[in-house]
Amino acid sequence: MSAGDSYTESQVIMSTVKIVTPFVLTYGLFITFHGADAPGGGFQGGAVIGVVVLMLAFAFGIEPTREWLDNRVVTGLIAGGVLAFGAIGLASMLLGGAFLQYELLPIHHPSRYGIEGIEILGIAAIVSGTVIGLFFATAAGFTADAFAPSDERIETQRDDRPRTGRTEGEE
Amino acid sequence: MTPLEVALIAFVLVTALATALFRDVLSAIIVFGAYSLGMAIIYTVLLAPDVAMTEAAISAGVTTILLLLTIAKTVRPSTDALFESVNVPAVLTVGAFALVFGAAVLPAIPAIGAESAPVWSNPEVTQYYLENTYAETGVQNTVAAVLAAYRGFDTFGEAVVVFGAAVAVLLVLDREVFA
Repeated sequence: MSAGDSYTESQVIMSTVKIVTPFVLTYGLFITFHGADAPGGGFQGGAVIGVVVLMLAFAFGIEPTREWLDNRVVTGLIAGGVLAFGAIGLASMLLGGAFLQYELLPIHHPSRYGIEGIEILGIAAIVSGTVIGLFFATAAGFTADAFAPSDERIETQRDDRPRTGRTEGEE
Repeated sequence: MTPLEVALIAFVLVTALATALFRDVLSAIIVFGAYSLGMAIIYTVLLAPDVAMTEAAISAGVTTILLLLTIAKTVRPSTDALFESVNVPAVLTVGAFALVFGAAVLPAIPAIGAESAPVWSNPEVTQYYLENTYAETGVQNTVAAVLAAYRGFDTFGEAVVVFGAAVAVLLVLDREVFA
């Protein structure tokens, strides 16, 4: 929670991020959506899209960005990506084929859009969500009060039995 | 080797050495970012743009930001010394590894683009993907086709690993929310 301490408002960084961010976001979306026919794909594009939020947090402060960004968005990206990937894979199994056997999907160009589907809805969502989530989780760090109750318990048990108390306290 | 490749390899070696030797953590993180950028350009020169993009985005970008965030949240020991004091046994051990690698392993690796390289000497494998990817999957990027179609189940496993990493960070930090 003390990550805001290290924040210094800088006109140079804020202006740079304001100008650069739209292009970075566009480039990330381009890599993601064009990955099937050009270098790139969901992983690289998702990372670039995630970095957009990191740049905003760097320029305008981590706590304001954290308040602006809903936790449900980050969790939804990460968990929803895994679910979308799994759902596309399982859909072909429900239609009587193997996992991710795209040609069974009842859509136009099934293989092509199946690949696009897992790259965009699956991998890009998971990676961008994880990059954003790791950043905010690291920024929050772990605070002493979050660990205080268990620390006290370990301390008490170690006093009772000096040699084995710590191990049991951690269990 | 072209002059560009020589310059890039020299740049990467110098920045890697600087990362190991700088006493100040902030300087080490900055040269580490430069090292990753050099590696990304090397991958581009070696015609591996997919790898280069990953290196640039994850290693030069995200990792640098996460490391900067870490030193912002921890104590940065102030020091007058520019370089780390050299640990002689460690340097000897690493030097021995580098010597074995340079003398024994490196000459055994086929030259870039050599016909004896496994990627060309097994044309039935490599050429199969290059020739049939578009017809079978409808995408032109063979890397994407192998990733998402031919080895799609492996990629699902990797995606779940990334998901697991996010969950593990929450568990370690004893948090219930990301943002």
